[in-house]
Amino acid sequence: MKNIESTIAVIDPIGLHARPASQIVKAVRQSGLNVLIGRKGGKLITANSPLQLMALKIKTGETLTVSIETDDEDAAAALVAELQGLLKG
Amino acid sequence: MTEIIGGIGVGRTAVVAEVFHVSPTPTLPDWARTSNAVEVESQTLIQAIAEVEAQFKQLIGTSDGSSAEILDALVELLIDEALFEEAVAYLEQGWSAAASFGKAADTFSELLSGDAAMEERSLDLQDLSKRVQAVLAGINLAIDIPSTGSFVVVAEDFSPADTSQFPASVVGVITTGGGPTSHTSIICRSRGIPALVGAKLARQLEPGTSVLLDPLGNRAVAGGLISDATPEVEYVPKREKPIIKVLANIGSFDDAVMAAKTAASGVGLFRSELLYLNRAQEPSVESQIHDYSKVFAAAPIGPFIVRTFDPQDDKPLQFLGLEPKASIANYRVLKSRREILANQLRAVEGARQATGREVWVMAPMIGSAEEALDFADLARQSGNFKVGVMVEQLSLITEISKLKGSIDFLSVGTNDLAQNLFNLDRQNLTNPELLDPWHPEFLLKLTEIAQAAKQAQISVSVCGEVAANPAFAVVLAQLGFSSVSVAPSEVEAVSVALRS
Repeated sequence: MKNIESTIAVIDPIGLHARPASQIVKAVRQSGLNVLIGRKGGKLITANSPLQLMALKIKTGETLTVSIETDDEDAAAALVAELQGLLKG
Repeated sequence: MTEIIGGIGVGRTAVVAEVFHVSPTPTLPDWARTSNAVEVESQTLIQAIAEVEAQFKQLIGTSDGSSAEILDALVELLIDEALFEEAVAYLEQGWSAAASFGKAADTFSELLSGDAAMEERSLDLQDLSKRVQAVLAGINLAIDIPSTGSFVVVAEDFSPADTSQFPASVVGVITTGGGPTSHTSIICRSRGIPALVGAKLARQLEPGTSVLLDPLGNRAVAGGLISDATPEVEYVPKREKPIIKVLANIGSFDDAVMAAKTAASGVGLFRSELLYLNRAQEPSVESQIHDYSKVFAAAPIGPFIVRTFDPQDDKPLQFLGLEPKASIANYRVLKSRREILANQLRAVEGARQATGREVWVMAPMIGSAEEALDFADLARQSGNFKVGVMVEQLSLITEISKLKGSIDFLSVGTNDLAQNLFNLDRQNLTNPELLDPWHPEFLLKLTEIAQAAKQAQISVSVCGEVAANPAFAVVLAQLGFSSVSVAPSEVEAVSVALRS
């Protein structure tokens, strides 16, 4: 399987705080896909822990890299769109 | 004897009910090592986590929207996979299930610390950790309040899980800790339960006796009657605009965003020190420009007044290198660290240029005209601002006339002014006098300031808590103050009063 990489912008005025972090982990869990996430250019972590996502202390205006392990480009695009929606604030 | 306990009121409806003290959380056993196999302890831990999750799910089912959303996010933290993996790492070192979960929670609390937006989550995590450890120790953490009768419950603070399982018999809440934005306040507001938070002396209320909880009066009165409650005045707007301007007090980017959604015609007080409370190093000019620009850009349209760093006992700025008790509030402290003040003013100017906003600056802790003029010189060398000073020290009031022509505006910090006037200890804010803006001496002092400012042809505003009392804001307008600045959440109520 290949890794599909995309970027999403953190628009939420409080940054990547508890609620979006929990929602991201939930969305990834429901998609059944293996997803890595992190600050663009930084180390990526498995998107299975709201606490680890929060500990990245990502602020408004930063860009995240999302790496999805799948061959299904449509599923990946749908998930990326969903994650971006969660960071709109 | 009538006993009055001061605090911060939440809600608008007063209640009279019986005092019920909720006992503090029972002590959990000390963390210990175990000789059990890792697999056994890890199964035990999984079961305990599942049990706490089930408790929360049950609460979610019976909660309203706001509470359910908070509890839902807590469940996600509880079942966090990284948290569990961290706990397993401790199990492998021989620690018991309870100790391992507690240590894992501590690890993540540590990771979340140092960031205001995350601090509360760290407290949530500690509460979850206690709940799991209690299940493992067979301790019941459920709070035991009779379901019949009507009670004002008193405790140090309540966790969201506590608050959401209050029976209908809870008609009021008093906490010795917490503040206007703590979970207790938010949930009580959403459930329509009046509360008094930060009521340090609430433990003195006698269990089983009757108490008046008067949120509009920011107080609880032992033995008080409902007729003693502070009446709510209703205002009907007759004008399109308030008779004097209403601005917002902010301390962060989030506050700026919130203020921009209100009718505030600018920012009357930006507590700049709140951005850097825990910094051991002075933030660089570049990072200050970045931080201020973000706040300026998000703030409501209108003038933006930056108060330069205000180090005090309750919010020491580490990078000033002061002993906590030595940071007596006066301008000399900052003067002796002139570089820090000059750097901040340069950064404010940089952010002003970057955002094109109208920025004013003012200094706190000014004790004399000489100090005010010293600050004005420095500020005018540093940027293109209107320059003002805060009036909170009594010694400055008699020297206001000397500021004519040199200072553009004055802003009265009523919290500190009242403290200085009544010689109150800042650590003992529960003295009701401080919370009562109608104290005759205090009103006289405000009148004196307004008149002195008028004679010196300097505009003067009020940015302390008292301005958030709508009736008091109307009085301030009559006394000659040209604007008030209040918390974003109070802008609406104050504006309506000033339009009536």
